[in-house]
Amino acid sequence: MRFPYTFPPLFHRAVFALAYASPACAADETAFEPVRAELVAEHVALVPGGTSSLGVHLRHAPHWHSYWINPGDSGLPTTLAWSLPAGYTAGEVEWPVPKRFDVGGLHNIGYEGDVLLPVALKVPADAVAGSNAPLAVTVKWLACREECIPGKATLSLELPVAREMPRPDARVAAAFTTARLAQPQASAWSGSAHDGGARIAVRLAGAGLPSMSARLDAFVVQRKVVGNAPPSIRRDGDALLIEAARSEYFTRAPVDLDLVVTTTDGPAPRGWHVRVPYAAGTAPAN
Amino acid sequence: MKSMFLFALSCTVATPLWAKPVVGAPAPAFSVVDSHGRTHTLADYKGRTVVLEWSNPDCPFVRKHYGAGNLQKQQADAAAQGVVWLTINSGAPGKQGHFDAAGANAWIARVGGKANAYLLDPDGRMGHAYDAKTTPHLYVIDGHGVLRYMGGIDSIQSADADDVAKATQYVPLALAELAAGKPVSVPTSEPYGCSVKYGAP
Repeated sequence: MRFPYTFPPLFHRAVFALAYASPACAADETAFEPVRAELVAEHVALVPGGTSSLGVHLRHAPHWHSYWINPGDSGLPTTLAWSLPAGYTAGEVEWPVPKRFDVGGLHNIGYEGDVLLPVALKVPADAVAGSNAPLAVTVKWLACREECIPGKATLSLELPVAREMPRPDARVAAAFTTARLAQPQASAWSGSAHDGGARIAVRLAGAGLPSMSARLDAFVVQRKVVGNAPPSIRRDGDALLIEAARSEYFTRAPVDLDLVVTTTDGPAPRGWHVRVPYAAGTAPAN
Repeated sequence: MKSMFLFALSCTVATPLWAKPVVGAPAPAFSVVDSHGRTHTLADYKGRTVVLEWSNPDCPFVRKHYGAGNLQKQQADAAAQGVVWLTINSGAPGKQGHFDAAGANAWIARVGGKANAYLLDPDGRMGHAYDAKTTPHLYVIDGHGVLRYMGGIDSIQSADADDVAKATQYVPLALAELAAGKPVSVPTSEPYGCSVKYGAP
């Protein structure tokens, strides 16, 4: 047991680290920092053999944004590199629905304001109740308004390992609730992507397709497949047709296309994830 | 339904507003004045390999590569092979990194730039012709005026200077392959960096 646990109440053991960006190119300590990052946990303790939700909370200064897994024409996706006790594993970032940023005719995809990037932490079954788990992550992001400032922070959090299911941490409950609502939902739609050379057409059908609206948008997870300008989206009977130019950096057809369809109809942005087979050449038979 | 869909597709497979550069096709022509008032055109360099490098002195990604000496080295190595290297600034007046001629020359002296010329493209005409999106954004054109490479400077998309040595530098790779009469093994890569600070259209 590396971190002997003595007796204070569980929540006192949750240490939150708030870190500020260190712009790579600014020596001045008072330099403006467009993003603040914080590592948070949904519950006040970990359970042996359980999965716990962590989150990297990014707070952007007004007018600044950071990037989605596919950043678009410029920018860089935010990356997390974890340093965890033996046996612990962190999953991939569970990217919330992104937003489009069009700056100077270029198309970017990312986040502004407050955003929580959730990550699932698997706790080993042999984690010792009563011990503490020191968790650390190095976060790198690129913040841009029109100009860009790269940021990096190493964030840490120490959580106790508890015997029974711990309670949620009230301080971050709202942020996790918001993050959950902003997760693209798995859709049961069927569909296909057809590469016509200059343009790629995705046809989606099935129950629960969003109604046609100017507030619909679609983003492709894979890079170098479609161009980053807003796609054209329209209804074709019961199907939703999404068309975009093929990327000028297209080199290889993916087996499947991962698409996030989003809408800003409603109180908060929502989205759906759909994976469709990708085929070159002919249009689909209906 | 099938015919409707085909119709929809055929309607959208249209010629784009302006032809975008395509690897393997002739590179877009240009005529741009450099920081010494000289005009450069692609035709001037017929018979020579040309590298185009989009730049913005205040972009952290440009600083990464100049700070590490990476671009100066690539420029010097290219010059030693008789390759023409043109750096282009398409930043509009009032935007971050925009240069007038004196500003550009002072910057070149400060960073030890080894390009043949620094082209000033404040109206973004050359940048748009090449669909330059990021700084840096690199293009290699062969002696026949055919585009052979377009994309990022290297294989590791980051703002960390520590990554430069670990990354594959795509322009030197393309230049070596062209010089050896081989096909360019990486003809495109996704560019990364800051957006080019174009003015309003």
